[in-house]
Amino acid sequence: MQRFYYVMTAMLMVPALAAAQQSAGGKPGHPDLSGLWAYTIDLPPIALKKEANGSVAINKIDKGLALPRTAQVPGAMPSTPAPSYRPEFRAKVKTLFDTESRVDPVFYCGKPGTPRIGSPRKIVQLPNEIIFFYEDISGDPYRIIPTDGRPHRVNGNPSAYGDSVAHWDGNTLVVDVTNFVDDTWFGENGYFHTDAMHVTERLWRVGENLAYQAIVEDPKVLTAPWIMPARLVKPSTDPLEESPKCVEDDGQRLLNNDHHQQR
Amino acid sequence: MANKIRAVLIAIAALCAAGSLWAHHSTTAVFDTSKKVTVTGTLTKVDWVNPHIVVLMDAKGAGGNAESWKLESNPPSWFRRVSVGRQDFAKALGQTVTVEANPAKDGTLYGYLVKIKFQDGTSLELVAPDKQEAAAK
Repeated sequence: MQRFYYVMTAMLMVPALAAAQQSAGGKPGHPDLSGLWAYTIDLPPIALKKEANGSVAINKIDKGLALPRTAQVPGAMPSTPAPSYRPEFRAKVKTLFDTESRVDPVFYCGKPGTPRIGSPRKIVQLPNEIIFFYEDISGDPYRIIPTDGRPHRVNGNPSAYGDSVAHWDGNTLVVDVTNFVDDTWFGENGYFHTDAMHVTERLWRVGENLAYQAIVEDPKVLTAPWIMPARLVKPSTDPLEESPKCVEDDGQRLLNNDHHQQR
Repeated sequence: MANKIRAVLIAIAALCAAGSLWAHHSTTAVFDTSKKVTVTGTLTKVDWVNPHIVVLMDAKGAGGNAESWKLESNPPSWFRRVSVGRQDFAKALGQTVTVEANPAKDGTLYGYLVKIKFQDGTSLELVAPDKQEAAAK
């Protein structure tokens, strides 16, 4: 009898769990990607020691919020190690990489653009569109992405985040992005592109987490699509705040080209 | 004290090795992380800006000359996630503070703020997360 109760309880819970996966504003049957998602940009691995009235507190960054890039992500496409540039552009990429701290637009408060900005900090999923919100030092961009089957805009101006339309491929939201300016980099290490860049972003749920993966194509400079490693992002309760303005002042003081990876 | 200094140096070394948006250039491309200066003076400005917060101080140099120091530190997004906001610095505007910093390699009155001690006896300090017990002693 007890076993029957467990089976019945489980059966009753299945539709409830399925409903919980559906969008409140989206169409039935589609997973709900809405919510606040963790800040995935790496921060200094430093703790803050706070002393007050004889007491000491150590505040540490919660590094568990963004799962490591190397984590296996169920449902992800196999990634390619690095973008495959045409031979005539490989020297340029190396030069940009070597001098990255001096020439990377992002270092000087420039927009990272799509897909370098990564996964959204907040998603609002509506019946005919989905809205991505970001937190970035260059500002806090948003993208309003139609999901009603309409094509790309014909006369839109090129931009760092491009023109996006999306559709569902099973439980995966597929965002097709075109019409880029050519002065952003699509990733670290001098990954420049042209106005012919085409980006496909894939977002899906893995349990409570959000999975994000992007594919970059640019036939003018790449010999093959670059499939970036997928990343799992945890849900967050950290509210999305307006980022302070960006004022970079170290560029004129650099005494060497040492630099970090960033995203 | 030696442990404390070592912990801070480890923290700065970790800063240099960080893979992150917050700095992009290495700290060592601008600052001499093997040195530390201590500056006491009046806190005159707190700029809560990306990619690094900036504080300004008026102090007196070794010869009694007036010096205007500029100090940057970690990004606002980092401070926010260790529960520190602009007001935690700005509360001391116009007051005397003591700052420990890695000086700029170019010899200017510029540094990377590692610790700030306020007039009310409170302080904020960047430490290596794994050395927190040693740093706290």
